[in-house]
Amino acid sequence: MTTQRPTPISRHILIGVIIVLLATAAGIWSARLVLQRSGPQDELSATRFPVARAVQPFELVDHNNVAFNNASLQHRWSFMFFGYTYCPDVCPTTLSVLNSVAQRLQDLDVDVRFIMVTVDPERDTPERLAQFVTYFNGDFIGVTGTDEGLEQLTKQLGILHVRVQPEPGSDSYLMDHTAAVFLFDPDGRYHAVFSPPLSAEKIAGDFRKILQAYQ
Amino acid sequence: MIRIHKQLPAAIFFVMLCLLSPVMAAPAVDVEDPWIREAPPASTVLAAYMVIKNNGDTQYTITRIESPDFRDAQIHRTVVEDGVAKMMPVEQLPLPVHGSISFEPGGLHLMLFDPLRSLREGDEVKLVIHVSNGDSITVQAPVVRKRGEDDHAHHHH
Repeated sequence: MTTQRPTPISRHILIGVIIVLLATAAGIWSARLVLQRSGPQDELSATRFPVARAVQPFELVDHNNVAFNNASLQHRWSFMFFGYTYCPDVCPTTLSVLNSVAQRLQDLDVDVRFIMVTVDPERDTPERLAQFVTYFNGDFIGVTGTDEGLEQLTKQLGILHVRVQPEPGSDSYLMDHTAAVFLFDPDGRYHAVFSPPLSAEKIAGDFRKILQAYQ
Repeated sequence: MIRIHKQLPAAIFFVMLCLLSPVMAAPAVDVEDPWIREAPPASTVLAAYMVIKNNGDTQYTITRIESPDFRDAQIHRTVVEDGVAKMMPVEQLPLPVHGSISFEPGGLHLMLFDPLRSLREGDEVKLVIHVSNGDSITVQAPVVRKRGEDDHAHHHH
């Protein structure tokens, strides 16, 4: 059936498509306005959300076997990284960067802590995590738990973690994992994210600006 | 006279060859600044870093790096794709002519599995780098403690 003039139905579809396109364009345009309005944002290398996001409930444990959940994110700033202890390059490098950030922020009169959540809870027991994270800084916190607990947190943050099958003859597997560092504010909300390549200088500098805007 | 003139270029070439020979005798491939990152006490995986230089006119390939102090060693490259860090095994590592390749944190590294002895800062580890021309280069890599406090040293007031 090939008619030159559109039938009433196809005209409705056409109008519908135009409305959807206009709405999308308007949405993108207003989203850009909102992002531009967030002021000093453009000077940050971090991505800060115009409105900090609430964190949905999750239940994990820290390296002292104490519950680590939403309440644990309250009352102080938390930098959070997702890694694992059988990781030879990225995780030690990131924890070194975070230790350098900690040194750079020592003069601040705010409570800041640094957390590594394992994406490999099967091998990373609280004891093993304790040895790993406190090697870099005695105040660093390791967090592990059940697969379900981990999913509760990683899903809402968009964290990817995949076990890579080892080569034949090798018994140790590697993990692909999101390399970013997440920042939570003292209200326990997801506030900003630092994407790789990570630089201690930039993270510390950005954090000072974020803190100024927050207070 | 004509005869001498004819032989002159050959003579110059011969002299230059003699002058060049010490340069040519230098190894085609050099390994500089090897080091191993000290790992937390319970760790069974470590990483080694270095710079491998190709001084020659031929493109060589690093076929394997091994260490008698570890059960196994593999060349890996950390790649961040869409924010996700992945380890890619590197089977053959080509060395560009008159160029170098850097193994550095967050990039190319030698992943070392299961140390056969405890390794702390100050220890030295033997690494054997195998080149496609059949050469192998042995270096001693010091174990270095890098926890992020050092790169802040110059910021102290």
